[in-house]
Amino acid sequence: MLDLELLKNEALKAISEADSKKLEDLRIEYLSKKGKIQGLMAQMRDLSAEEKPKFGQLVNDLKNAVSTAIDQKKEMLEKEILNARLKAEKIDVTLDAYVPKTGTMHPLTLVQKELEDVFIGMGYNVAEGPEVETDLYNFTRANTPEGHPARDMQDTFYVDPTHLLRSQTTAIQMRVLEKEANHLPIKVICPGKVYRRDDDDATHSHQFMQCEGLVIGESITVADLKGTLELMIRELFSKDAHIRFRPSYFPFTEPSFEVDMTCHICGGKGCPTCKGTGWIEILGSGMVHPNVLEMAGIDSKKYTGFAFGAGIERIAMLKYGIADIRDLFTNDIRFLEGFKR
Amino acid sequence: MKLSLKWLSTFMDISDLSVNEIVDKMVKCGFEVEEIVHLSQGTNLVVGKVIECKDHPNSDHLHVTKVDIGSEILNIVCGAPNCREGLKVIVAKVGAELPGGEIKASTIRGVASDGMLCSLKELGVDENLLPEESYSHNGIEELDDRFEVGDTDILEKLGYDDTILDVSIYANRPDCLSMFAMAKEMGAILNRKAVLPEFDEKSAVGKATSFVLKSESNNCPHFLAKVVNHVVIKDSPEWMKQHLRANGVKCINNLVDISNYVMLETGQPLHFYDLRSNPAMEITVRDDYEGTYTALDGIDYPIEKGDLMITSEGKPIGIAGIMGGDNTKILNDTSSLIIEAALFDHAQIRRTANRLGLQTEAAARFSKGLEPLCQNKAMDRAVQLLIELADADDFEETVEYGKPDYEPYQIRETLKHLNSLIGKNYNMKEATDVLDRLDLTYAVEKESFVVDIPSYRSTDLKIPEDIDEEIVRLTDFDDLVSTLPLMPQTVGKLSKMQKMRRIIRETLNDHGMFDTVNYTLVSDRYIKEAILPKGEAVELISPLSDARRYVRTSLMNSLLETLSYNLAHYNENVSLFEISKVYAKDYEEERLGIVMQGDLIDNKVKHISVKSDFYVLKGILLQILSKLGFEMGRISLRENKLDTIHFHPYQSAVLYMGDQVLCIFGKLHPVYLKTLKLDDVCYAEMILSVLDEANPSKVKAPVLSRYPSVSRDISLLLNEDIKAADLLDEIRKAGGKLVKKAEVFDVYQGEHIEQGYKSVSLNIVYEDKDKTLKTEEVNEIHERLLNDLLTHFEAVQR
Repeated sequence: MLDLELLKNEALKAISEADSKKLEDLRIEYLSKKGKIQGLMAQMRDLSAEEKPKFGQLVNDLKNAVSTAIDQKKEMLEKEILNARLKAEKIDVTLDAYVPKTGTMHPLTLVQKELEDVFIGMGYNVAEGPEVETDLYNFTRANTPEGHPARDMQDTFYVDPTHLLRSQTTAIQMRVLEKEANHLPIKVICPGKVYRRDDDDATHSHQFMQCEGLVIGESITVADLKGTLELMIRELFSKDAHIRFRPSYFPFTEPSFEVDMTCHICGGKGCPTCKGTGWIEILGSGMVHPNVLEMAGIDSKKYTGFAFGAGIERIAMLKYGIADIRDLFTNDIRFLEGFKR
Repeated sequence: MKLSLKWLSTFMDISDLSVNEIVDKMVKCGFEVEEIVHLSQGTNLVVGKVIECKDHPNSDHLHVTKVDIGSEILNIVCGAPNCREGLKVIVAKVGAELPGGEIKASTIRGVASDGMLCSLKELGVDENLLPEESYSHNGIEELDDRFEVGDTDILEKLGYDDTILDVSIYANRPDCLSMFAMAKEMGAILNRKAVLPEFDEKSAVGKATSFVLKSESNNCPHFLAKVVNHVVIKDSPEWMKQHLRANGVKCINNLVDISNYVMLETGQPLHFYDLRSNPAMEITVRDDYEGTYTALDGIDYPIEKGDLMITSEGKPIGIAGIMGGDNTKILNDTSSLIIEAALFDHAQIRRTANRLGLQTEAAARFSKGLEPLCQNKAMDRAVQLLIELADADDFEETVEYGKPDYEPYQIRETLKHLNSLIGKNYNMKEATDVLDRLDLTYAVEKESFVVDIPSYRSTDLKIPEDIDEEIVRLTDFDDLVSTLPLMPQTVGKLSKMQKMRRIIRETLNDHGMFDTVNYTLVSDRYIKEAILPKGEAVELISPLSDARRYVRTSLMNSLLETLSYNLAHYNENVSLFEISKVYAKDYEEERLGIVMQGDLIDNKVKHISVKSDFYVLKGILLQILSKLGFEMGRISLRENKLDTIHFHPYQSAVLYMGDQVLCIFGKLHPVYLKTLKLDDVCYAEMILSVLDEANPSKVKAPVLSRYPSVSRDISLLLNEDIKAADLLDEIRKAGGKLVKKAEVFDVYQGEHIEQGYKSVSLNIVYEDKDKTLKTEEVNEIHERLLNDLLTHFEAVQR
């Protein structure tokens, strides 16, 4: 019995002092079939039948103790090695990262996309049309016949007596009205480039973008227009924004309204951006003029509708704080880089 | 429209309202006020008399004065050349607030000064509004006998106590370009009655006349003329001068002033001719005159056919609706005249005025349109004022050509229609209150009302919705509720092209490329250097400049210009793209342009750089096409035989969809780039419309093989002109279904390789979908394939 205790102490001491190579030797020395512990079994023959199971139990316990000690030691040694290796792999995490290059979408693309997404969510489609237009769709159908004083409001680039660069995306609306006259209701937005004979400066550009919207159905009201525009403004600018209508004039709507929104900079308190008024003019709108519906072949007694139009540059300039409209057409990548989202 | 509040107050009492209150109400009712101009500004002003004026001891131009202001005598240093003893002057006392700041007691070159002697300019009066004789042009204002020492109502007495609102008038309200109509409108806005002068039928005086009036142009449908045989030329009364000046109109004499004043009041441009200049007693309007004509400003204008001219005895006497003639104008000794009140076509007047660069008040009013009874009203008012202010007498009866285009009419609207359009619940009282404010007569019939439309509102009020707008405009509208349209549900979605644009932009962004928006209008150089133009370019009739004369037929030049701009501004490795439509006569298509310069990837941390070259560009284009559902099988790549002027002849290619050109791309020609001071640029222009018309491949799940594949390499030495695509095609042909993949992984030319030859290394992967290929089978195919390549391409195995 003494032998067992001695052997155990001797083994445990050796294990605790071993390195990983020595540990494998110790495993063989003690635990292999010809090892020291197995050797103890030879003593079994000299024991009585009564003592045999007891002794067997003791040897087994010894075997387990040594085996556990070796496993634990092994685990410990592996951990040490791993820790040493990890430590050797230390890097400076503050060094510059590998940043994949990302380009950006143009701010005008971003605003157009945002508008498209808001209105698609409300069940609108996105209509487009030619930029080299006829005066029929650009003016006549929009209740602006030849000689109408409102043609004076837009100095237009003509390419021949009846063709022009469209001066308003209203031209797209007029095409949609004609095409869908027998497939009512209509719910579309019409984004696109337009052109006017303006000299370029910080706030004017001979080329710019508009996004107009058009809804035609039964019993559409000014209140519906207000609700729709309020949703749009809140998505684009601020969840708390409000809008107000000011009477205005467009040949193709009656009544017509300029729409102001709560200043997104000061929240309506008054600041230099809104010239202290708390309001910012953001778009034009109104109820589609009965003449416009009739010219497209739609019964203006049965159907009404609203239309609105906003300048995409204006929205971009307000939203991103762009002071000079020409920056949008210079495409300096240092400027474009700012529009990552 | 310049609205003088002082003038407005002659029609209604507005003394209870501040300027801001008035402006706020106008804005709410649809009249934007662009500018508020105070004709003058100054507090703490008093009339003083210079009782002593000596030269300043330390200055060669300053004066030291003693000024009696009644309550005290002030020492004031003054620099005005006209400062002298005995003058009655405007004194700004210490503490006065002037446009230039506050007046403080000070010491000027050692002499104390307790105030300032003022020029009207220092009180904020616009130099253009000063009478010609005013001393304020070059010195301090000299006051006349109306002023007593100690008076403080100086600006009032001088007529500069006015505020002018610059009101923008929408195109539907040309009537508001007249003071009378504007006063009515202001009455409606401010909810008070505007009292206008009575002048109905005042021109119904005069004896029989021999005067003959004709129009030989369709563009003059109505003309009134009246001979006045006796007038007395003199100064206009002060109130008239003040109103004219407030509107920026120069005062000349009572006759000229009356014609201008009546125009401001009624909106109708009037013209007075000296009767002596028209011995024939005849006026004919013509539009067939050609030649130069001297207008009353003394300048010669080139008149063309179509321009409306007033003529007498076949000779021009005025440019109709724009400016009178030098040969017929009112002179200092005019004692008889002809009054002209006519209607000229607005479009023609606009064309002529634009061409001659002659934007007169008259031209502006004709261009915007007049109310139909304008001529008659102006004639009545002019006669009234000529009698009152020019002792006019001995009238002849009014001669009329044509008729005013107006018949009284009514508009009927119902509350139901009104409310269903607006989404509010107006009652009859609210509706008729607005009509009352507008001074419109109407009749109520149950739930509807019938409104009489006077001539001056006939340019705007035509249909029930126009009446609705008046009601909306003049009632509080901020309480309108927000609702959404109640209608059948619709599905909103992007079109195929709209989706393609988004995918392309996102893909190119992920490669570090920037989306740009460039100008559509370009110079003729851009048109000459266009890539794949589709016909004759669209040219503007009247461009702003030659640089913006044409609608671009390709995107390349815009992108190259933007590239140059960026390089000039120290941006490096610039990769840009644009998606836009291009045009030619009767042709439209959408394109994608990509320009790449420098490195596409340049990462210093990882020491990776990928130069933007033909292969990089090709790969990106194929990636886009694959994302859009067009794999290489649908698209073929061919040699670029379309354009080797702009493209490098040996580093460019064309992609085709069937027989249609889809994309031309590659390195740009070094000679062409040199003309743009650029070097080593790759460019692609893809016609997206071709993709829009084609059907993308359906997405199908790939079938994975359950059997292993075998990979073999081959290295060949062959002629340098043999194309990789031909080798791969041959391999696929010879290997059949068992060749799962074949690719070139190395091409080498140089040392150890004979000139004119190249070494190409290929990797081929064999696989059978139905079984595991045995080594012998692979060997057999591979051997056959190799021999085929060797004979077909006269190659040698390395």
